[in-house]
Amino acid sequence: MEAYFAKHRWYVSSLIVVFGLSAFLISQLSYSKQIQVAIVIGIGVFYVTWGILHHHVHHDIHTKIVIEYILIGSLGMTIALFFLKGGIF
Amino acid sequence: MQEFLRHFFLPHEGNNHRAKLLHHTSLLALISIFFVGAFLFPLLKTSFPDVLGIAVNISSGDLLSFTNQKRAEKKLGQLYLNSQLSQAATQKANNMLAHNYWAHTSPTGATPWKFIKESGYSYIYAGENLARGFSDSKSVVDAWMASPTHRSNMLSGNYQDVGFAVAQGKLGNEDTVLVVEMFGGKKASLSRAPGPSVPIASNTLLSSVLSNAVVDSNFLVRTISIGMAGLFIITLLLDMIIVERKKIIRIVGHNSDHVLFFCAIIVFIILMSRGAVG
Repeated sequence: MEAYFAKHRWYVSSLIVVFGLSAFLISQLSYSKQIQVAIVIGIGVFYVTWGILHHHVHHDIHTKIVIEYILIGSLGMTIALFFLKGGIF
Repeated sequence: MQEFLRHFFLPHEGNNHRAKLLHHTSLLALISIFFVGAFLFPLLKTSFPDVLGIAVNISSGDLLSFTNQKRAEKKLGQLYLNSQLSQAATQKANNMLAHNYWAHTSPTGATPWKFIKESGYSYIYAGENLARGFSDSKSVVDAWMASPTHRSNMLSGNYQDVGFAVAQGKLGNEDTVLVVEMFGGKKASLSRAPGPSVPIASNTLLSSVLSNAVVDSNFLVRTISIGMAGLFIITLLLDMIIVERKKIIRIVGHNSDHVLFFCAIIVFIILMSRGAVG
């Protein structure tokens, strides 16, 4: 895992920065559930795009990998959506 | 059972060296379940509110008590529960639910001062704190204290009276619990020593939402959501470690990226589960 982070540190750093900024926005925009939903959807779409681009740049892109990122991104968004629809706000 | 768990959560020859939970079919099934659940859950809450509801315990008495406790810590005089301010707060809460907004000024331009004036309370100083999405009184007061502007209202020496309203309803088709705190001062700034605890004269002054469903839907959805994301983090880490040790070559995405993504989802859910103050 250390080797992975050493090799992909710029990609991983960019992911952490975007997630951190999104967390900050979500905490600051707690008054608007609609904006929070939009941020979560945006993060899901960003993650899928980021993952595909990452593999494309490293020349190990494959249809199976594209589908995997789409499914993982969708699952993350759906879990967050389930939470947002079920709780009180 | 042991074999089933191994098949689902650990990579081995039988599952093509990828935990079954991480297979595309499993991911697709879970996406479908959560998607349907996102729309079914609110329906179940509406249909069986006594079983699957919101567990909320917020009352004016507790809000007053916690507010005065914070003021006492700063050697400020206690606030007195005022029926006119409570009436103004109730009108404001009802107005927000009726007109589907959550703000100090309504879409039609009605300010907090309008509600206070209509209640008959004559003031020199007045203020308003709002909160939504909290399940107990202490969390509301703590959140107000954590916000500089709300804190300055709570600890202002200009106010002598306070009124509260707690209302449960729907904003934007989502269940919510609104808390309105109206402050009023009829005379110039005073800094009194803490007095005796304020007797609450009449039940008409009290406003509370006490709902004790068998299952707290808020807790349930938070646990399921965080639990599922956590389960994926563990499975992805185990999958990554075992495959790295066995040095098996597979065509899959980076588990480390997925772990980071699910960690972010957990952080988002924790942040979104906090109430809001305004």
